[in-house]
Amino acid sequence: MQSSAPSPAPAVQAIDLRKSFGEIQAVDGVSFELTAGRIYGVLGPNGSGKTTLIRLLTGLGRPTSGEARVLGVQMPSRPNLARIGYMTQSDGIYPELTAAENVRFFAAMYGVRDPGATDAALAVIELADRADTLVSQLSGGMRRRLSLACALVHRPPVLFLDEPTVGVDPALRVQFWAHFHELARKGTTIVVSSHVMDEADRCDELLFMRGGRVIAQGSGGDLRARAGTTDLEQAFLMFSGDGGPMA
Amino acid sequence: MSLRRVLATFRRLVQELHRDRRSMALLFVAPVVLTGLMAFVLRGQQVAPVSAVVVNEGGPAGGAIVGALERAMRTDGGTVIDAPDRAAAETALRDGTASVAIVLPADFVARLTAGNEPSLTVITPGLEPTADSQQLISLQRAIATAVTQALPDAGLHLPRLDPQTLYGTPDSDVVDHLAPVFLGFFAYFFVYILTGISFLRERIGGTLERLLATPVSRSEIVLGYSLGFGLFATIQVLVLLGWTLLDVQVPAIGPLASFSVGLAVPVAGNPVLAFLVVMLLALGAVSLGILLSTFARTELQVVQFIPLVIVPQALLSGVLFPVSSMPDILQAIARVLPLTYATDGLRQVVIRGADLGYGALQVDVAVLAAFVAVFAVLATATIRREVV
Repeated sequence: MQSSAPSPAPAVQAIDLRKSFGEIQAVDGVSFELTAGRIYGVLGPNGSGKTTLIRLLTGLGRPTSGEARVLGVQMPSRPNLARIGYMTQSDGIYPELTAAENVRFFAAMYGVRDPGATDAALAVIELADRADTLVSQLSGGMRRRLSLACALVHRPPVLFLDEPTVGVDPALRVQFWAHFHELARKGTTIVVSSHVMDEADRCDELLFMRGGRVIAQGSGGDLRARAGTTDLEQAFLMFSGDGGPMA
Repeated sequence: MSLRRVLATFRRLVQELHRDRRSMALLFVAPVVLTGLMAFVLRGQQVAPVSAVVVNEGGPAGGAIVGALERAMRTDGGTVIDAPDRAAAETALRDGTASVAIVLPADFVARLTAGNEPSLTVITPGLEPTADSQQLISLQRAIATAVTQALPDAGLHLPRLDPQTLYGTPDSDVVDHLAPVFLGFFAYFFVYILTGISFLRERIGGTLERLLATPVSRSEIVLGYSLGFGLFATIQVLVLLGWTLLDVQVPAIGPLASFSVGLAVPVAGNPVLAFLVVMLLALGAVSLGILLSTFARTELQVVQFIPLVIVPQALLSGVLFPVSSMPDILQAIARVLPLTYATDGLRQVVIRGADLGYGALQVDVAVLAAFVAVFAVLATATIRREVV
């Protein structure tokens, strides 16, 4: 979308980002710069700090120290949220509303004025024919897709997806990734968190997380080469340093 | 039937409930606290000393009785002032100088000495029947003392009391006093429950998290909620208000006896003002619901707040028991409850016929509006997003 005007600032930036909850260091000194129009996979076991990192980047949490920047603006910033899409781990949609009503509501929250935005978002995730169905009558996979539509309706240049494919069947997962690549091709920066390695190769670049730190960053091939293995899971354990199990 | 499985189910329930501290508190602490509170309200009832205004229409003969009556009331700790006529006495009642007016009619002494049962007119404001009847009870003793002192030969012909009220119709009953107050209470109660559960769903369903990831501001959310539930409160109050005022007589049809539909409560003031008072209360309830949903993790827990938050308010806000006769400490608590002001405001409008020119109603409306503002600010503060 905005790829025509090359910006010197990285799309997403973390500068020695830290967040602690009491004694626990959920995010423990993370720094990176993410380039516009690419898909980044944040991979790590449960409790490695992925969700906290994404919450810091979307401004839902205030860092204990360090800085999170999206499109050059320091987070948390309420106005900047209009340029960010966020798909939460839980569906976060209203079960008593229809699919279209949900999307229309979030469109209004994001300040979208285009009346066609709702239909467009529903078309992208191929739920146009279910627009008037109540969410409580949609299948789990359809709700996941609707949740994605709600995160996309304002055509954000930066998109955070927290475990978007959990509980999604393989066919839909392929569809999701096709959407993500299409969005990235148009210039959207996408940050996907996941705890399953088999999605890693669909990302342009990976960030391995463990214990609140990014232990390795690079493309799948690059990380494999550095670890000297063809298996990403093995590579992860290599970078973890302790050879322990993933979760 | 396996005893082992029955016992396993039993054990599991004990384990679960034992860990649910809130339910445990509710089971054992709440009933003790609530009955204790009720006992405190009822047993601690302090009968406010009589402050009477006396009108003597019985000439010098009546004057002796009035003098004795005034001495008896003063002995009981009351205050007494004289008024030249009934109109002056009613003015004293209206501006609050006196809480009861006593009129000694012209034929009082003649009837008393002739052995006919005389009657004394006593006028109370009629805003709070319970408080009024307490005043009458304390009056009765003073009257008996006065009559036997002033006319020791009169025998046992104690005067009959002819109770009248300044506001409301003479035949107004308990329903006339309770219905308008219950109107406010129900609006408060149901709007709180609906908002509390609705907002809790936002919190636990992940939609609040998602909302906070949009540029919406917290005050926009609270305002939107107030509008939404304000609409339903409006409809509810209109229906309830209509039902309270409605008085439709249905004639007898065949074997069916005639009956009336509606509570037929007479309204002295403008129903629009009563509506305004209830709406302010309901808007406060929206914010209260949002506020309390912070402290709940399940819908059950929102409901668990009812005995802790709603029932004490019903006990203390003058819905059932007059605030003026409660122990001082409970009166202090009553003064910080929004329902107290709504209850008084509704009585002022419905029974007294107050309009916005009345000081008492102005205070009620102003305090209710302040509650709406304070609760809204507190509710906004509980919607967490660490954004400036």
